[in-house]
Amino acid sequence: MSPDLAMVVAAVALPFVAAALTPVFFRVLGEGTGFAGTVVALASFGLLATQYGSEGSVSLEWIPSLNIALRFYVDGWALLFALLACGIGALIFTYSPAYMHGESGLVRYYAALLAFMGSIVGVALAADLIAIFLFWELTSLASFVLIGYYTADDSSQYAARMAMFITVGGGLFLLVGFLLLSIVAGDVLGPGAAFNLAAMLEEPDAIAAALRERGLFLPVLGLLAIGAGTKSAQVPLHFWLPNAMAAPTPVSAFLHSATMVKVGVYFIGRVRPILVGPEWLFLFATLGLTTMTVCAIMAVASTDIKELLAYSTASHLGLMVAGFGFTSVYGAETGVFHLFNHALFKAALFLVAGIVAHEAGTREIDELGGLRHDLPVTAVITTIVALSMAGIPPFNGFYSKELLFEAAVEAIHHHDIGVLGVLYPAVAVFGSIFTVLYSLRFLSLFFGERPEALGHVHRPPVTLLVPPAVLALLAAVVSVDPQIAVDAIVQSGLEATAVDPQEMHVGLPTSYSTPVGMSAVTIGVGLVAFPFYGRIHDVVRGVVGATPQIRPNWWYDVIVEGLSDEGRSFAEYVHDGHLRTYASWTLGATCALALTGFVAAGAIAPTEFGLEATVPIALVLLVAVIGAVAVARSDSHIAGVLTLSILGFMIAIFYILASAPDLALTQLVVETLVLVIFLLVIEEIPESYEIGIGNVGTVVRDAVLSVAVGATAFVTVLVTTGARPDGASNIARYYAQRAVPEGGGTNIVNVILVDFRGFDTLGELAVVALAAISILTLIVMRDRSEGDALTDMPDGNNELTDDEPTDDEPDGTRRGGSSGGADE
Amino acid sequence: MTTVIMRTTARAIVPIILVVAISLFFEGHNLPGGGFIGGVLTVTAFAIVYMAFGLDFLERGVLGRDVDPGKGASRDRVVVAYRRLFAYGFAIAVASGLVPLLFGRPFLTQTYEPLEGIPIYDYLGIASALAFDFGVYCVVVGGLLTILSVVGAE
Repeated sequence: MSPDLAMVVAAVALPFVAAALTPVFFRVLGEGTGFAGTVVALASFGLLATQYGSEGSVSLEWIPSLNIALRFYVDGWALLFALLACGIGALIFTYSPAYMHGESGLVRYYAALLAFMGSIVGVALAADLIAIFLFWELTSLASFVLIGYYTADDSSQYAARMAMFITVGGGLFLLVGFLLLSIVAGDVLGPGAAFNLAAMLEEPDAIAAALRERGLFLPVLGLLAIGAGTKSAQVPLHFWLPNAMAAPTPVSAFLHSATMVKVGVYFIGRVRPILVGPEWLFLFATLGLTTMTVCAIMAVASTDIKELLAYSTASHLGLMVAGFGFTSVYGAETGVFHLFNHALFKAALFLVAGIVAHEAGTREIDELGGLRHDLPVTAVITTIVALSMAGIPPFNGFYSKELLFEAAVEAIHHHDIGVLGVLYPAVAVFGSIFTVLYSLRFLSLFFGERPEALGHVHRPPVTLLVPPAVLALLAAVVSVDPQIAVDAIVQSGLEATAVDPQEMHVGLPTSYSTPVGMSAVTIGVGLVAFPFYGRIHDVVRGVVGATPQIRPNWWYDVIVEGLSDEGRSFAEYVHDGHLRTYASWTLGATCALALTGFVAAGAIAPTEFGLEATVPIALVLLVAVIGAVAVARSDSHIAGVLTLSILGFMIAIFYILASAPDLALTQLVVETLVLVIFLLVIEEIPESYEIGIGNVGTVVRDAVLSVAVGATAFVTVLVTTGARPDGASNIARYYAQRAVPEGGGTNIVNVILVDFRGFDTLGELAVVALAAISILTLIVMRDRSEGDALTDMPDGNNELTDDEPTDDEPDGTRRGGSSGGADE
Repeated sequence: MTTVIMRTTARAIVPIILVVAISLFFEGHNLPGGGFIGGVLTVTAFAIVYMAFGLDFLERGVLGRDVDPGKGASRDRVVVAYRRLFAYGFAIAVASGLVPLLFGRPFLTQTYEPLEGIPIYDYLGIASALAFDFGVYCVVVGGLLTILSVVGAE
């Protein structure tokens, strides 16, 4: 069965449409907007569910000239991920109204959350590289808005910036990888399929072979790995994820557990059939296991329940990446099944953390305990999902972790990986021990002694309880009979990601095997070590605290601060408020770029050029030259402006003589306007204002610069006119012939402007409008920054604006004003 | 520069400039001219008014409104009108481009209709591009006058 385009597009578009309509919802429903979100999420879920069992791609034309389409590919893997996003999205929307009660900015919150969900569904279903990239970066943008929800909070801003910086930056690596991939795919599959991921997935071997042949295999693999790794918080770029806990808890539940951070994992699974091989194994198994272990250890060192969960998320993402990294079929089984299981238990855990924080008023692990008396239902939910996270049989997390052990052991059979064959299983066990530890620690919030300091803990409202309860129920069902989940969706997801899919069977082990032994060791050591949790916690914290250099967060701060400082000092050097400096840098850069361009293109060649000028033209140009000299020699503004316009008018006459009346008219009119504006402005400039000739260095610099500008202009004219073909070119003939029959006008220039190239003109209009708006903004902003806001201070504001700039910057503002006029 | 000579000259030439600007705008399709040039010339006329009579002249002398000295130049009602002018102009240009979509043609497709046998003119070509060009004219006039009046008030 092939998918239905309308259904798929509707499922992706619905959240975006709803996001645009959020202000309307909010006006009608108020804080109940979340329930509208639930409806939207369920609607998308329903639309996608109708596509259950279908496979294939559908596309909508988008940019046909570049072979880019809005193409969607539906298969088990895409559906699994998209359905998770919508399903958990629906729960988050149900949970939000009670949690976000009384917060401001809810319109922004719900709109961003809806857009977030839509873009994740988009990534899951998109099968065109450009569309994937677009949705990919949209998830980053939406998460930026969500993580930075508490706009007044510095840590929230910091976290949002960091998440944006890392994930959007990673997305750019992904883009480069996509472009390389598309070049190769375009050659192998034909130019029409250059961006078509669905077509590439049909012939994975041919693409992989072509990539290897051109030596692009490793670059593409590396670039995609960086993109996916940043998104899925792999070491060493995992640190943004724990910081992202600055977001409101429902967002964390959505972002950390279910969806956005899994986009990377999802994508690794998606391209797995194309790129799988020895390099793949080495890269992703190592990366994943390292992430899993490092983040599990960091989770043990956490003091905040959300921080613990955030690190554990990164750790589990490592587990999934490692699973996909192992090339055997068990690897794919691990990745797919754990993605599913993790979404169930981790979303529930975050929602539980939200309940605890909301009702107990603290997130500090040390201040919490014995909550089962106050929150009995939550305690039951937590027991199921925390044991699942720990991988304790028979809870669902156990099955997928067992698969990882199996894949790690199996890896020796598939490739000759030497010592790594021992190292991989060992690290997997080592990391999992910490997983058991922190899972039990989270669970212990509900058991043991209730601290004295903990005040009264309220019962959560039912809308806070239902979403995690639903997830825990699902987790329990999967725990009792994992085969249900496998048959429903995991098997079809496996078929999309594995090279050699086979019937998947999971269940409790009945006889001894190496993986079973590994599980026994993991759980046994975890249970034995749990009484010493406090000591392990202190040791890890001590080590991290003593050597900040091992924390990537420290490096991030150092690099970002260093860059900002460098940027600031460079900015002061380049634009110091003096128009002179601006002009020097702009002109210098333009000359350098233009000349470099000519040299690089080999356009500059010694050419002979004869002087052919009729007497009138020679005369006009002579007057122009005299005008130019007079400008340089004039000693007052008025004389300078007037002589400058002599130059301009002579050029207009030159245009007339060269039979370009339209150009001449424009030049005349603009020259007149500029002259008038100059005179208008000059009136305001004090007579005494003169540019002092600086020291020798300044004079030399200015001289060099002006010679360079003159030379560039001269060379440009020579090169460009030299390259023009003799006589009327094709384009010129085309316009001349079509102007009257097609445009109905005899003025070719104008017909080109409004008929043939109207879009260009529209763009220029936008430029004029923007220039006006930006000048308005600049001046209004300056008024605000100098005094109080205009509205606060109706009187005396003019005096401020008139005096201060002249004191601060003797020439900058004034000349800035006049150049604003001259731009036109 | 508000000398008597300046004012007298301005009184004489401003109407002429405006008429020329409008005629340039209309004949643009067949002769040198068009929305941009017409717009710039119109702005020139306004600039001369500003130069001869001062920046508040339009507000106070022509429209008979009091100028509130406390407000910045960008808040003047004339400036607000200029701002609207370029916004509407842009809207007109875009809308004129959208109309062809209704007829299943690409964005910004233009056409023209020759009318014959009209009194005095005998022949008149009506081009749909005129609407687009009018948008250009409005944006140029509105945009440049906004810049001119705001910067001029500094």
